[in-house]
Amino acid sequence: MNPDVNTDQTLLQLTQLHKSFAGKPVLSGVDLRAKAGEVLCILGPNGAGKTTLISAILGLIAADSGDIYLLGQLQQGASRSVALRQQLGVMLQIGSLPATLTVAEHCDLFASYYLAGYSATELVTLAGLEAHAKQRFGRLSGGQKQRLLFALALAGKPRLLFLDEPTLGMDVEARRGLWQQIRQLQQQGVSIVLTTHYLEEAEQLANRIMVLHQGKFIASGSPSELKALTQYKVITCCSALTDAALLALPGVLQLNRQPQGVTLHSSHAEQTVLALLTADNTVSQLEVSQVALEQAFLQLTRGDGTEAVGSEKEEQAA
Amino acid sequence: MTSGMTSLAIYQKEAWYDLVSVWRTPGFVLPALAFPLVFYLFFGVLFSPSGSGSQAAYMLVTYSCFGIMGPAMFNFAMSIASDRAQGWLTLKRLSPMPVSAYLLAKMATSLVFALLIILLLFSAAALFGEVRLYQHQWLGLALLMLLGTVPFALIGLLLGLTLSDKAAPGVVNLLYLPMAFLSGLWLPVTMLPHLMQQLAWLWPSYHLSQLGLKLLAMDQGHAALLHLALLLVTSAGLTLLCLLVFRRVIGAK
Repeated sequence: MNPDVNTDQTLLQLTQLHKSFAGKPVLSGVDLRAKAGEVLCILGPNGAGKTTLISAILGLIAADSGDIYLLGQLQQGASRSVALRQQLGVMLQIGSLPATLTVAEHCDLFASYYLAGYSATELVTLAGLEAHAKQRFGRLSGGQKQRLLFALALAGKPRLLFLDEPTLGMDVEARRGLWQQIRQLQQQGVSIVLTTHYLEEAEQLANRIMVLHQGKFIASGSPSELKALTQYKVITCCSALTDAALLALPGVLQLNRQPQGVTLHSSHAEQTVLALLTADNTVSQLEVSQVALEQAFLQLTRGDGTEAVGSEKEEQAA
Repeated sequence: MTSGMTSLAIYQKEAWYDLVSVWRTPGFVLPALAFPLVFYLFFGVLFSPSGSGSQAAYMLVTYSCFGIMGPAMFNFAMSIASDRAQGWLTLKRLSPMPVSAYLLAKMATSLVFALLIILLLFSAAALFGEVRLYQHQWLGLALLMLLGTVPFALIGLLLGLTLSDKAAPGVVNLLYLPMAFLSGLWLPVTMLPHLMQQLAWLWPSYHLSQLGLKLLAMDQGHAALLHLALLLVTSAGLTLLCLLVFRRVIGAK
């Protein structure tokens, strides 16, 4: 972390944000805090309220109630001052920019909006599109378009950056390149709010992951904390025991049989393994693994969200 | 909007790149410039009784009016509907760009096209149509047609704010062509049936063309102030409507 960065500085704060559309609540009491140099990842299935939340923060819609502080300033309704917008960066999922303008021209135009931002040439470099500077937007690949949009979001050297699905449509290499750029921004003290469908992305980048479900945050923590929230481990092996015998082992919550072996979910993996080896000395290909965030995420957002996160009862019932 | 921080450069770049982007769209440029010129050469010059140049002069006014309406309505309606649909307008609104820079850029593009059309038609009229006008008539007509783009730009803006990007081109054509015909831009208004002549009063294009014809003493003889007042009222009403719709569209998305 850059020693110049004051990490106590809160750049985004939401308290008890509510928003309904036609009487149907979409956000019901959202609290959130993002500090300088922090990557905050908002996870949630479609319809969880991610878009509404980002729209309310950015002032595209007005929240019904609750407070929004951006860079320490309380925001009113759906208007954001020009001075504030100078310090925000936004990357949205965009269908298309004007297709007949080139990469360099788009960078030149966006650079002109900001008082203390990057030059057009610097933006082309940030996008990594030096070789395509004279290419029209309409002729870029999906990944190249995303990289240009990412660079445009940085045009004003923002203190607070919103990235909505930034690596959508990118190949693995381009995705890793963008992650590297996001980490650099984080080290410069930029506060980054990220939404993504790629859980690997959240695991790789986020200081904190917040899981949004039906308009509320149902879980929040570092990627490893979130993993710990899901209390079981996954045991895979090949065993001669019957399903009934396996389910009777201590700690076993759930069983899935596959051609290549069996998968057990256990709340007490060590005891399960001990009992398994005692009962069956032919066990082979034994493997114990932590629940991947992807599974954790599915687990978190399944059900109505009022249950304890990663509830064993819920798993058993399923 | 004017916080003192917005510099002139934004307005210049916004206008320049709007023009460049439109200029690189042959599907827009060719019809916008060629249709009025070809129609004028055909109906105003070729079919004109030779020697007098009076039909060519009359048609010069009406086809100039027809010519400047198109780019104003199409550029506003189609590009705004498309920018809205693609999310590009949202991204611009979240940037520090003043909305006025975006709208003035589209206006500037409409004016450049209007000027090109005026130059093309005036040249055709002078070279092939034997149209001889006083200098103040040429200048007055050109200025009137440039100012006359305003109500059509507002109609385009209103359509661009309300229609989807798929519907916009069709609806503009559906409005543009009948409006041109009913205002007497293709055939002199006096050749239209009586009911249509009365309906012509509804359209800004009728009043604009009558003002132009008045410069040449070829109008129907109504007071210039009346036409002017109706154009201003129409423009004011459209502006108000655009503001209301703008707030609603911005608030809802």
